[in-house]
Amino acid sequence: MADLLANPWLRGLLQGALLITVMMTAVAWISWFERKFAGRVQSRLGPTMVGPSGLLQPLADALKMFQKQELIPSAADSLLFRLAPPLALFLALGGAAVLPITQGMLASDLDVGVLYVLAFSGLLAFPIWMAGWSSSNKYALLGGMRMVAQGISYEIPMVLAALVPVVVTGSLSLSDIVTYQATHHWLVLWPPGLGLIAFIIFFTMALAEGNRIPFDIPEAESELVAGPATEYTAIRFGLIASAEYVHSLITCAFASTLFLGGWDGPFLPPLCWILIKTVGLFVLITWLRWSLLRVRSDQLMALCWKYLVPLSLGILLLTGAFIQWVG
Amino acid sequence: MGYLTATVQALYSTLRQSLKKPTTVEYPKVVRPRAARLRGSFALLKDAAGDENCIGCKKCEKICPSDVIALTTVKKPSPVTGKSRGYASDFTLNLQGCIICELCVQVCPADAIVMVREQERPAFSREDLVLTMDRLYRNGENAERLAWATASILAETQDPERTCLKK
Repeated sequence: MADLLANPWLRGLLQGALLITVMMTAVAWISWFERKFAGRVQSRLGPTMVGPSGLLQPLADALKMFQKQELIPSAADSLLFRLAPPLALFLALGGAAVLPITQGMLASDLDVGVLYVLAFSGLLAFPIWMAGWSSSNKYALLGGMRMVAQGISYEIPMVLAALVPVVVTGSLSLSDIVTYQATHHWLVLWPPGLGLIAFIIFFTMALAEGNRIPFDIPEAESELVAGPATEYTAIRFGLIASAEYVHSLITCAFASTLFLGGWDGPFLPPLCWILIKTVGLFVLITWLRWSLLRVRSDQLMALCWKYLVPLSLGILLLTGAFIQWVG
Repeated sequence: MGYLTATVQALYSTLRQSLKKPTTVEYPKVVRPRAARLRGSFALLKDAAGDENCIGCKKCEKICPSDVIALTTVKKPSPVTGKSRGYASDFTLNLQGCIICELCVQVCPADAIVMVREQERPAFSREDLVLTMDRLYRNGENAERLAWATASILAETQDPERTCLKK
């Protein structure tokens, strides 16, 4: 057994399979939670029929998705149309590989973990654009274009905000960043004030990146049917939808790793802390989703380019100065 | 700044709402208390001695705006008192076209046809939506299901002196 695990390829395969299973299961329950919460906000009950309090509803939904007929529009670009959903899920899941779950428990301790996660989630705009372009549907195309426009807006303040922990810890490796936070301060509190603002900017932009209200501009269901996913049916639609949930979840885990100390915390075991923080951020995202309205595309771009880019640049400069002169 | 305070207000209001008891009632399992005069379905009544109230006057058939009531009458001696009077030999009410206007109840001189509060169940076939005479009398058996309005009570509510009847 130990010999087998010494084989890096086999070990990578096992780790990948485990991570994907865990993430997809988590996504199933999280979508259940979101539906339940949405129900309670709107004075409904949410899913109740499948399993106790509807807990098996995501499973039933997945089965339904697998059984449904798949339709590809005859005018669609068939290859891109088929390629987009699996690519979206692949890019969304990819980020999970470097997230430190507990001390020393992560699939791959990359030196450039922060860059890796940001690159993977930044690339997620591509499959969405592919889906929008290849569907040969005006709603899908508009959705895809909005995704690209949104992508070039949110990415810069997000990356600049994510650089604040990197500047403080002097490392791009996520496990180093968590270790720093476990031994020094959580980076949401350090440098005082600046860390909090960086966290808020990062989290706001994560909402835009995950296409969550108030920034769900690409799929705006009241304007664009389902945006780039309009023409998708059956499991292809399921892949796109689950990619968005996976991505939200990984962004939450990433934000709690960068700013909230990752697995660090008193009394409870590290695994509990990372779960509490990630789920807590996801609850906040869901809560925001059912409270706020959608902003317009130009409003998001104005927010990003006119306010958040200068603000995050300033924060980054001040953090550098803080590290240089205060410590 | 206004956007921020509005966001906080929105978050507060959804949180408050999500902690309240949901309005939804899981219908087949839980049935809400029904209004006293809920118009669900129809029933024909019998008097205390077990004699049919309906005298076969066909007023309901005539007043029905959507023509869903059909009855044939027969004159025969009452099985209880032995006196000869009119009866409905057949009575059908087709719920498929019924607009639940309650006019047949209001016009009935013998308080024979009333409405029941039980909500109409969906049916699997069109035939299931036709209330035959048997089904109408069966609906009238359980007094708790009946809406309280009969023709004479309604007339009294409208006109406590009952001047309309004295004329």
